[in-house]
Amino acid sequence: MTLTTDRKNKKMPKEELINLDIDGKQVTAPKGVTVHRAAEINGIDIPTLCSHKDLTPYGGCRLCIVEIEGLRGYPLSCNTTATEGMKVTTENEAIRDIRRDVLQLILSEHPSTCMVCQEKVECEHVLGGTVRKSGVTTGCRWCPNETDCELKKLVELMEIEELDYPTLYRGFEKEREDPFYDRDYNLCILCGRCVRMCQEVRGTAILEFNYRGPHATIGPAFGRSHLEAGCEFCGACVAVCPTGTLYEKASKWDGTPDFQVVSTCPYCAIGCQLDLRIKDGRFSSAVASHDEVVNDAQACLKGSFCLGEVSHHFTRARKPMAKEGNYWREKTWDEAFDIAVEKLKDLVPGDFAMLVSPDMTNEGLYASQKFTRMVMGTNAIDSTARRSLSGRLGLWADLFSRPISIRGIGNASRILVIGLDTRFNFSIIGVEIRKAMQKGGKLVAIDPRENNLARYSDLWIQPNPGYEGNLLKALAGTGADLESGASEAGIDPELLKEAKEIIESGDDLTVILGPGVFHYSSVNKLIEGITAFASKDNTTILPLYTGTNARGAMEMGTFPELLPGAVSRDHSETIEIFEKKWGGKLASDRGITVDQITSGAKKPKVLYLAGAVPFFEKPDCDFLIVQDIYEPDFECDLYLPASSFLESAGTLTNLEGRVQEVVRVEELRDSVRYGRARPDWWIFSQLAKKLGADGFDYEYVTEIQREIADVVPGFPEPDKIDREARVTETPGTVSIPEAVGNPGKAGDGKFILVLHPEGYTHRGISITSRVEGLQILNPENGFYISQADADSLGVEEGDILLVKADTAVGKAKARIEKVLPEGVIYLFVPDSLGGVGGRKDLDNLYRLERNPVRVEVTKSVL
Amino acid sequence: MTGTAVTLDLDGFTGIRSDLIPILQHAQDSLGYITEEAVRQISQKIRITENEIYGVATFYAQFRFEPPGEHHIQVCMGTACHVKGGQQLSVSLEYQLDAKMGETTLDGKYDLEQVACLGCCALAPVVKIDETIHSQLTVLKLRKVFDEDEES
Ligand code: SF4
Ligand code: SF4
Ligand code: SF4
Ligand code: FES
Ligand code: FES
Repeated sequence: MTLTTDRKNKKMPKEELINLDIDGKQVTAPKGVTVHRAAEINGIDIPTLCSHKDLTPYGGCRLCIVEIEGLRGYPLSCNTTATEGMKVTTENEAIRDIRRDVLQLILSEHPSTCMVCQEKVECEHVLGGTVRKSGVTTGCRWCPNETDCELKKLVELMEIEELDYPTLYRGFEKEREDPFYDRDYNLCILCGRCVRMCQEVRGTAILEFNYRGPHATIGPAFGRSHLEAGCEFCGACVAVCPTGTLYEKASKWDGTPDFQVVSTCPYCAIGCQLDLRIKDGRFSSAVASHDEVVNDAQACLKGSFCLGEVSHHFTRARKPMAKEGNYWREKTWDEAFDIAVEKLKDLVPGDFAMLVSPDMTNEGLYASQKFTRMVMGTNAIDSTARRSLSGRLGLWADLFSRPISIRGIGNASRILVIGLDTRFNFSIIGVEIRKAMQKGGKLVAIDPRENNLARYSDLWIQPNPGYEGNLLKALAGTGADLESGASEAGIDPELLKEAKEIIESGDDLTVILGPGVFHYSSVNKLIEGITAFASKDNTTILPLYTGTNARGAMEMGTFPELLPGAVSRDHSETIEIFEKKWGGKLASDRGITVDQITSGAKKPKVLYLAGAVPFFEKPDCDFLIVQDIYEPDFECDLYLPASSFLESAGTLTNLEGRVQEVVRVEELRDSVRYGRARPDWWIFSQLAKKLGADGFDYEYVTEIQREIADVVPGFPEPDKIDREARVTETPGTVSIPEAVGNPGKAGDGKFILVLHPEGYTHRGISITSRVEGLQILNPENGFYISQADADSLGVEEGDILLVKADTAVGKAKARIEKVLPEGVIYLFVPDSLGGVGGRKDLDNLYRLERNPVRVEVTKSVL
Repeated sequence: MTGTAVTLDLDGFTGIRSDLIPILQHAQDSLGYITEEAVRQISQKIRITENEIYGVATFYAQFRFEPPGEHHIQVCMGTACHVKGGQQLSVSLEYQLDAKMGETTLDGKYDLEQVACLGCCALAPVVKIDETIHSQLTVLKLRKVFDEDEES
């Protein structure tokens, strides 16, 4: 791919420059770079098919030959280091001849009919964009990469019109069995970019050269599929392939994009920068940006492959809808607002509650809480972020008040990870961890299940699930704590001692907490452990929560107990400020939390769900308003269509506190076909105006940004979004609710059942159900148990197990997992609570309040 | 060569990356060939992925990934044998036995391997079946060797 958009070009420190002469031009280049890179920096193109600025030199294609004074023959510019005073000739007759010969050799094993076809110009004219899609690529006209092919460009540059060598077609079958991208190794020129990318940069090493000489191929071990081999589907290999060998399925036949813009990935708190490629006014594909501060040309499968399908899916609901008697009718915005106003106008605090998604932009979140507080006159605004920021908001306010750095992990000398699998989630963190390990860093992993980091760690500890927090606390403490922590968690104290030795042997320590541990209902010990580590020197804590903008949700004040700026609602000075700025009295009630609603403790009459759907079925209320990009899985009374991340602008705050822009790349086209979706902030402010409120005259998103910048310390003005990492300062203390006690343990014929979240959500909806590729990645439904337990229960893979908790029973197939500890049983809970239909046998277990939980397991005789 | 053991004894190795080739040799010696399970264990021991191990192992012709056959066939591809038609012998063998170089026939009877110079260039082209050297072969002569073998 040739399109790149550098937000800022890396500046090289001045003192390290050298001078050299390239083609008679006096140029400078940073010390230590290759001749090839030195030329590239100075705008001189040396042909290449294998070198890449992020990868080590490989010297595979031999097209980059040059002449260097004082050196014999034709050295490869891509693996010759530029030195002071060097004289380089990049092109002359002799060099050209050799290059043409080398290129011909490459072409002799590459479908090249179109490149040397005499009719090629006419063909392109006459056939235009028609004959494209085809099962077998026999020439450029049938290759998805035609318009962007580095090989083809070189053939044109070197004016090759005939081939002097016999050609060979490799006759490989196309590899299409994996999700997200296809592979056609008949087109591969063995440049090794994908191999080096996967190994050197990602650290995943899925791709390898196998065999050698004429039989050389590329792929995982034993001819496995990428899925089996542990591929993260990050797309990095696809992005660097110069040919059409590796291609994204979804955008394969879109053609050359018209332009690209840098935007922020809306799917997790890392906040990767992505180049969004646009074709004919529509999003086509996304490629990780060469971004200096966050993701450095890396992303995960969600950012690389799931944007289009989620936003363009045919089930997107783009028109306001309302229930009329038994009918579900399309409405105009005015009609929809009238219906809402009718229901909302005479409510008193207690009657109304709003739940918002932490995946919304800051502007949407800010408008939602201002709407609830100033228009509805209540603090009944809560975010499902409360669930991912489990335990206590006070703890999170504390964590966010310390500097957090993603790229800093890459330089850590000691790393402790708990409950984190970076294969498909937070894979950027995995890349950084492996980077640190390549530099000699040491890794201790704590997880009952094997994950993608465990095998490559220096020490892997498998505690009883639910006791990870005890280990963390013990590791932060003294020798005596180790003994008791180990016995609580059911592991050998020696292991824990070894872990402590490892993590204390470095200059610094990074503790990374994965979303897995925040899903347990008991997090007391975990919090104590985090607090203990947080107070140590040279220790960084990296909490990986779910919910893209959960940090933004705290800063925007979408919780009953928090005002914008993450200030406690009881902080009187702040209340005064807000009352002055917002021109009205602030509500003083205690509000309603998401847990009070799901448990039935509070029953508001009107419930407003803005992108948050934490329910299995329609919640009990008189009137349900849902504002989202998809309709919920159950009935509601009024549906307001929100714009997706491609259709609206705004900002998201990432894990490190960087406020980053989401750019609108698709126009809102109001029509029967395209619907009438609107940005969240627009919907809230229109509704506020209809309800007669002042202070909601926002016409552009920048007006809200300006207001936020005014009330939230450190939040940037719209024209000054610098993406700097920030710490959140929280005046006034946040009150801390108590968490529940410890889970039980296995033993006495009892097992420990872990309800592990599965799949991916965005704004409360399951993106797994929208993106085909994600469905393939979902673990198979069933109870995962160890081989030893399976033997003692007398069950085999696929037998039906009956699992009984105090209040619920569930039934599903047994799945045997080699490395699971004994007495532990895992069940994956679907990401979106609505769509659990068809899994009726497990429904009751999904609803269990406690996690993990003690259960009885028997083989079902049915 | 036991050929039956499933797990590999890796205690003698320290688990650093440069151990890879010795470990692979050890695996082949004790298991007869490199099994998927062995690669998994090696991956755990030296903490690199199975794909990398496989990539390295397939680079060297000495490692095999299928159980050896009852009889071991080596086709010489050294310079002399190559010039005198070693490649034709290989192709014809592959057809006749329905297995590729490096593979074992489905019935487990033969495994095929290409090797460099067997040290009897004067007799080129040669094929070695177990300990017997068959010299100055042609495709037809080679076929006969197997036909006789079938009959006996
Ligand atoms: S998608 Fe990523 S992990 Fe998978 S093979 Fe390509 S670079 Fe490697
Ligand atoms: S698949 Fe693409 S990147 Fe990988 S070696 Fe082949 S041509 Fe190069
Ligand atoms: S790691 Fe997070 S921000 Fe980056 S691409 Fe994946 S989901 Fe998006
Ligand atoms: S760029 Fe130097 S060999 Fe390919
Ligand atoms: S080349 Fe075949 S024996 Fe020497």
